[in-house]
Amino acid sequence: MSGIQELPDELQLATAQHVKYIQSLDTRKDEYDYWLTEHLRLNGLYWGLTSLYLLRHPDALPRDETIDFVLSCQHSNGGFGAAPGHDAHMLYTVSAVQILALVDALDELDKRGQGKAMVGKFIADLQNRETGTFSGDEWGEEDTRFLYGAFNALSLLGMMHLVDVDKAVNHIVACANFDGGYGVSPGAESHSGQIFTCVAALTIAGRKDLIDVDRLAGWLSERQVPSGGLNGRPEKKEDVCYSWWVLSSLAMIGRTHWIDREKLIGFILRSQDLEQGGISDRPGNMADVWHTIFGLAGLSLLGYPGLDAVDPVFCLPKTTMERVLGKAR
Amino acid sequence: MASHGVAKYNRAARTEEQRQQDLEKIEKYRQIEDSIRSQASAGTYDTALFQLTSKLLRLNPEYHTIWNVRRRCLISSLLSKSSTSNSSPDTMPTPHEDQSTSTTEQSASSTAADADSDADILRSELAFTVPLLVEFPKCYWLWGYRQWILEQAVLRLPTATATSIWEGELALDSKMLTKDRRNFHAWGYRRYLVARLETPELRGKSMVEDEFTYTTKMIRVDLSNFSAWHNRSRLIRRLLDERGADDKARAAFIEAELDQIREALNVGPEDQSLWYYHRYLILQLIHHSQESTIVPNLTVEERISYIEREIEDIKDLIEDYDDIKWVYEALLEYTLALGQLRQASQSTGGDDDRQNEELQTWLAKLRKLDPMQAGRWDDVEKELKSRRETT
Ligand SMILES: [Zn+2]
Repeated sequence: MSGIQELPDELQLATAQHVKYIQSLDTRKDEYDYWLTEHLRLNGLYWGLTSLYLLRHPDALPRDETIDFVLSCQHSNGGFGAAPGHDAHMLYTVSAVQILALVDALDELDKRGQGKAMVGKFIADLQNRETGTFSGDEWGEEDTRFLYGAFNALSLLGMMHLVDVDKAVNHIVACANFDGGYGVSPGAESHSGQIFTCVAALTIAGRKDLIDVDRLAGWLSERQVPSGGLNGRPEKKEDVCYSWWVLSSLAMIGRTHWIDREKLIGFILRSQDLEQGGISDRPGNMADVWHTIFGLAGLSLLGYPGLDAVDPVFCLPKTTMERVLGKAR
Repeated sequence: MASHGVAKYNRAARTEEQRQQDLEKIEKYRQIEDSIRSQASAGTYDTALFQLTSKLLRLNPEYHTIWNVRRRCLISSLLSKSSTSNSSPDTMPTPHEDQSTSTTEQSASSTAADADSDADILRSELAFTVPLLVEFPKCYWLWGYRQWILEQAVLRLPTATATSIWEGELALDSKMLTKDRRNFHAWGYRRYLVARLETPELRGKSMVEDEFTYTTKMIRVDLSNFSAWHNRSRLIRRLLDERGADDKARAAFIEAELDQIREALNVGPEDQSLWYYHRYLILQLIHHSQESTIVPNLTVEERISYIEREIEDIKDLIEDYDDIKWVYEALLEYTLALGQLRQASQSTGGDDDRQNEELQTWLAKLRKLDPMQAGRWDDVEKELKSRRETT
């Protein structure tokens, strides 16, 4: 990481612009896209807020309003929708728990919401007790993303005992491929996003011994392309969000040194929008909050200066994880 | 909120006219949304609400709550009540239970009419989502909704009708894969369709030969299609089992696969898809534990000689392509695996010193050709050293 201070402006982290960009996200109600993406509102809040914490501006969004908004998305069954009026789903419920953990407000669930126990029950009830995997909601779509989400949120709530961890672990093992990677379900092709969810879930379950570390690390480090960016599968284009899926997986198995970290830093920094703030999927494209958080989280894992350390399993600041897991224990 | 491949533009540079156009679009969109919300909260999941969801979903197929409203409309108002659908929260007695005292003839004819009408509705649901799928081929909710419709067909329709709907879906999936050969939604959907079609509820017979042929076809079109190679690797074990392949047939099979991939590598050694599949085949030869390989009864000597032959062929590749890193990666990995096999069989062979020298040469090549993975090559070097010290 030597010599970063001497890099030209376009290769410095544009902290002030990113903070402003995230603050501006909820002021765009005169843009059609704002309404078309309402189904991602709660996830977007988690992405934006985590970005601000990593950028060391945790107070750039008002805490009380954040908590009020999160609680306004909760249903009587304990689950959360993306925004008021949206159906409950695992993906939003996980974001809700992550946000409350981030702003140290998990207790508000018992004070003003449906209670922590109901949230835990909503999540646990989505486990398929035969196969161990999880669906996203009552309509039944199953995916290892939901399994990971369940493990993530239940860990934050201190309620992992509600689910059959061994069965879930068996399911992940069934998703493994000969190349060391994991797919979305048994038989599916290895994919960096799914590898992250499976490796993180195995880490939470304390079963990293089941990972074929060298084979998986080899597959992951082959994802780096000459521009320095990482792709999600063989022969695909590089994309900033894979900086997170690939790199965090490498971090969990102790192999981030298998890729060229300086080159990846350069790729992420070149994908910044230096005027309007935010980070895009690759240089020159439109920034969005999804690529902003995963770009920043990637830089944080790479030890880039000026950023708080991120936890590779939970995608939350390490300080948050220490506080929450300390309490849960 | 998560855009891919959208070129940068300046948000602040909207003209007043463009802003007005946006505001009009927003108003229209929110009007439909409001109507849906107020009807849904009143619990009237009727045809009118159903039609509103069509309007909104055409504007925004990512809006998963609206797909759920649509499902509730189908269950409550459009589809017959004759199914034993466990998705239906409706506990009202079904019309058929009411008619339980009527003649079986009447009940059978009304069931047939219901099934016809259900089939029409389910077919039209699939048709409704086709243009959306073409426009948004990576939208999870769309694939999930089609899956739900297909399950409704199994629950509600006679086997033959349901099967023909499912077969139509497989044809559509093939079309989607022609448009984007790597779409992992479409590949996953295909595996799901085939697995369900194979159950007695639908076709009830194995499709493994057809699917294997499909991967051959896809690979011929595009050798770089790793998704097709991957699917092939997942079909082989069942294929051989169902063919009742004996040891000879299995050996012939893996030889044919090796021949095919070797030919492809001779033309395109920079293609990592080919190397991944080659590695899959080599793993079948390396594995000792019987159930995890497609050639369980090869002797260690046979395994060794197959791998030796592959290594020799790859070495030949260097003559024409000495700057392709995959060649050296394969040589390194396979040579180390070969060493382990030899150790296991206590067979000698290969000159250790010469082999060490080769390994060092290949590693040096990898460092030069792929400096981004320098840390990995450092670890490999340490590993080689510790192996030498223990032997
Ligand atoms: Zn991306």
